[in-house]
Amino acid sequence: MKHLKSLNKKAQRLDAAEGKPEAIEEVVAMQTVVGCTATTDPGWEIDAFGGATSLCQPMEADLYGCADSCWWPAQVPDTMSHYPDWGDGKADATRDWRKLDGIFEDKI
Amino acid sequence: MENETNIGSKVAAGLLALAAAFGAPAPAGAAEGPALLAANCLSCHSAQGSGISRVEGQRKSPEGWQMTITRMQEQHGARISPEDKRRLIKYLADTRGLAPTETAGWRYLLEHDNNRVEAIDERYRDLCARCHSGARFALQRRSEDEWKLLMHTHIGLNPTLEFHSLARDRQWFQLAVNEVAPALARDFALDARAWKTWQAAPRVVLGGSWRITGYLPGKGAFEGRMRATAAGVDRFELAIEGRYADGAPLSGRGVATVYTGYEWRGSVDIDGIALRQVMAADARGERMQGRQHLADSRRMGGELSALREGAAPMVMAVMPAQLRRGETAELTVVGSGLSGAVSLGKGVRVLEVVSRSADRVMLRARAEGRDGLADVVVGTARGKGLLAVYDRVARVEVEPANAIARVGGPGDAQMEKVGVAYRAVGWAAGRDGKPGTADDLRLGYLRAQWSIEPADEEADKARDQDFVGRIGADGVFVPGDAGPNPARPKSLGNTGRVNVVAVVDQAGGRVEGRGKLDVAVPDFVHRALD
Repeated sequence: MKHLKSLNKKAQRLDAAEGKPEAIEEVVAMQTVVGCTATTDPGWEIDAFGGATSLCQPMEADLYGCADSCWWPAQVPDTMSHYPDWGDGKADATRDWRKLDGIFEDKI
Repeated sequence: MENETNIGSKVAAGLLALAAAFGAPAPAGAAEGPALLAANCLSCHSAQGSGISRVEGQRKSPEGWQMTITRMQEQHGARISPEDKRRLIKYLADTRGLAPTETAGWRYLLEHDNNRVEAIDERYRDLCARCHSGARFALQRRSEDEWKLLMHTHIGLNPTLEFHSLARDRQWFQLAVNEVAPALARDFALDARAWKTWQAAPRVVLGGSWRITGYLPGKGAFEGRMRATAAGVDRFELAIEGRYADGAPLSGRGVATVYTGYEWRGSVDIDGIALRQVMAADARGERMQGRQHLADSRRMGGELSALREGAAPMVMAVMPAQLRRGETAELTVVGSGLSGAVSLGKGVRVLEVVSRSADRVMLRARAEGRDGLADVVVGTARGKGLLAVYDRVARVEVEPANAIARVGGPGDAQMEKVGVAYRAVGWAAGRDGKPGTADDLRLGYLRAQWSIEPADEEADKARDQDFVGRIGADGVFVPGDAGPNPARPKSLGNTGRVNVVAVVDQAGGRVEGRGKLDVAVPDFVHRALD
């Protein structure tokens, strides 16, 4: 790490946590509320620090960059395997976000 | 243009919901189950034992089987009619389900009471519960081979999970197959005595008359009577009459299906509000316990309890459930077949019976004794420890202590807001006089004033509290609109982190409690179990 400089907040916190295993554990394995994801980096609802500053924000800015590759398959329809057409007609999510629809399997 | 897949999902969900609401044909009996499996599944699966391949190595909740069949439809093009799907779920849950003890501790997911942080074994948390709930796999039982195949399914359907933190930095697949799958097969074993015992136990028909109590966000606590009339095998038509704590009447109708002999799933309309009931019956079929939530927003709900009415009188609840020493208050005792003298234990004087019927007794009472839980007695019926007698509220807990709300709307936006229903629980300090210790006395739900504040310095700097939404006097938090907000730096959405603050006023000072709330982006994937 000597020759690398941390650029974002998460990297800075990882730098600060270097050499302290408990602190690193806290960074990568934050427990979250049921149904949310945070230990992936970035998470969907909260980042690995339990905050929001390391998330992709606003999420609409780069939604498909992550959803296409099913980064959060339990929260966002992935267009790789499950729902290839999910983003059709909503190419610019920053403009078309109102059209983003959900998958509703919960009604029996 | 709308996405066809999504529309399809909604139509299918709608059909199932309609079937539930208007009385579908009787579900599959044991005899017709194998025929249904053969007709719908054998084009891909092979016959095995009394069933078919893969299915024989698994047991699940009704919702677990629903998810499996949905995946067969979505991923493998299985063509299964809504009616057959309903019958298959019923048959599979009845014959390859979970015993009541196997769902204990995990029922919050079945009830969609998800605003909580799970306690999950670390190796399962880091492998599985970092994307979805831990209860989702804990509510399944599989052979070791089937747990291994589940790992293969995950990497097959979600290949990029290899790039995630906690995957790319270790040999996760070897770990999953060689260590975690065998552990799951031990902890959540297919062959279990609990299931064999439950299968052998006599089934109790859950029809009849039930006294119910519960809580509906925005409306409050309620009590009533639910009559369940048989309308097929394990299927009931429901008629509900009752009243809220403020005296307003409630009335509704609906249907319910019972899976696996004890899993009650109701679909009711109460005064124009579509609700779902998720309860578990005890082995004798005398009591059901669970949750009722809005059909359109399953996070919004509250507890639901049902006691079967019989020949013997019973006391079910007292509203409110606490009485402060030195104060006179009106209480309503709720039960069935109530007659005879009313007693609230030593130290609580019943000053006047204001009105009474077999279902409820309204009275004025004054507490003068010691702190503790008093029995509520009417004639020969006794409700043990139903009334909390106390001197001071020493601390307030906010329920839920950890929650997620989701921005949504406005107007024609597809995703709706997902709010949180808050309640304040009061506690007395107990005999040691110290709040926060094991002998604290739970006083039940108290009226509170609600507000939000930034969660920390970082949230305050971003002024999260000004954007994320608002909380009403009824404790219901309504999040802000979805979409980028140009008023925030970098067009950040109306997401953020706040504390929800409950203030309970009492003579001599106010007591505050706090809960953590993350107001997040929408959850676009609503599985039967998240």
